[in-house]
Amino acid sequence: MSVRGSTLASALAAGDDEAMIAAVPYARYLGLIVRTDAPGRRAYVMPYRDAHIGNASLPALHGGTLAALLELAMQFEALIDTPAPRLPDPVDFTIDYWRSAGPAECIASARLIRAGRHVAQVQAQCWQDNPDRPIAFARATFVLREASAAT
Amino acid sequence: MSAGRNTEARNRHDTAARARYLEAMIESHHQIDPEAWARLAQRFHAAIPHSLAIGLTLVDAGPPSVHMRLPYRDVFLGDIDAGLWHTGIAAVAADATCGLAVFLTLSARSAIATLDLRMDHLRPAVAGSALDVVADCHHVTQRMAFVTAVLHQDDPTRPVARATATFARTGRLAPT
Repeated sequence: MSVRGSTLASALAAGDDEAMIAAVPYARYLGLIVRTDAPGRRAYVMPYRDAHIGNASLPALHGGTLAALLELAMQFEALIDTPAPRLPDPVDFTIDYWRSAGPAECIASARLIRAGRHVAQVQAQCWQDNPDRPIAFARATFVLREASAAT
Repeated sequence: MSAGRNTEARNRHDTAARARYLEAMIESHHQIDPEAWARLAQRFHAAIPHSLAIGLTLVDAGPPSVHMRLPYRDVFLGDIDAGLWHTGIAAVAADATCGLAVFLTLSARSAIATLDLRMDHLRPAVAGSALDVVADCHHVTQRMAFVTAVLHQDDPTRPVARATATFARTGRLAPT
């Protein structure tokens, strides 16, 4: 196993969410941070940046960034629940857009619905000021990697 | 039944369809030359800050299809060890390309919003190579537009992903 792979694995082993994010360049690029409001309940936060705007006249965040946030939240949640040295690969991903996202941070929570031997099925939502007014809903299926290398 | 009577019956029963067809003809794509489409596409694309921020470029645009390219950057990696693009950035490129295909197919007259998007990841996208997205807006109704896209690297016959999206027509834009 390479050095970087063990970075992700050691971050998981240490329960270090910041190091886990740092091991994934695209998550870092979006500025993703993890907030834990209760044990085991993570909120994945995408801070606001002008570069994330998709519609400048509304203004609204680019729908793609919301998809990326939700996918990363689901991917990390699946990884934490089924530790492996690498991120699980999504097989498919679907997002429903419920309302547009304003120019502010966006918060996502993900839930592992089922993890079998080979696949994990995950759901996620994101919101801005009010969790009861979700902006988008996503679901995805991930292929799980061999867990042996992580333990 | 003769061919003539058949046609007559079809015409009589398809008045609404014919009206829609005529409306479509009036707003026909063929009235706009390829350079004009390219300018229109470029203007729509350049108005999207995130598309510019990630370096997405327009390769070709002529409704109902749009071809965009996202040059490789290290920050798009999902897996450093294996050298693979993160799939999230593929969704960003797919959403942007599908949106532009819809916009042009609606003759740049409608404001649009993504209702839903599905990505099927067929094989990993490898570091170093650009990601190409070719979107096709294959059907429109009064309220909706349907679009699919194929994502590939260098070889269109070996797609890395397929996208399916539905857009809502949210309003009418002033003529451009």
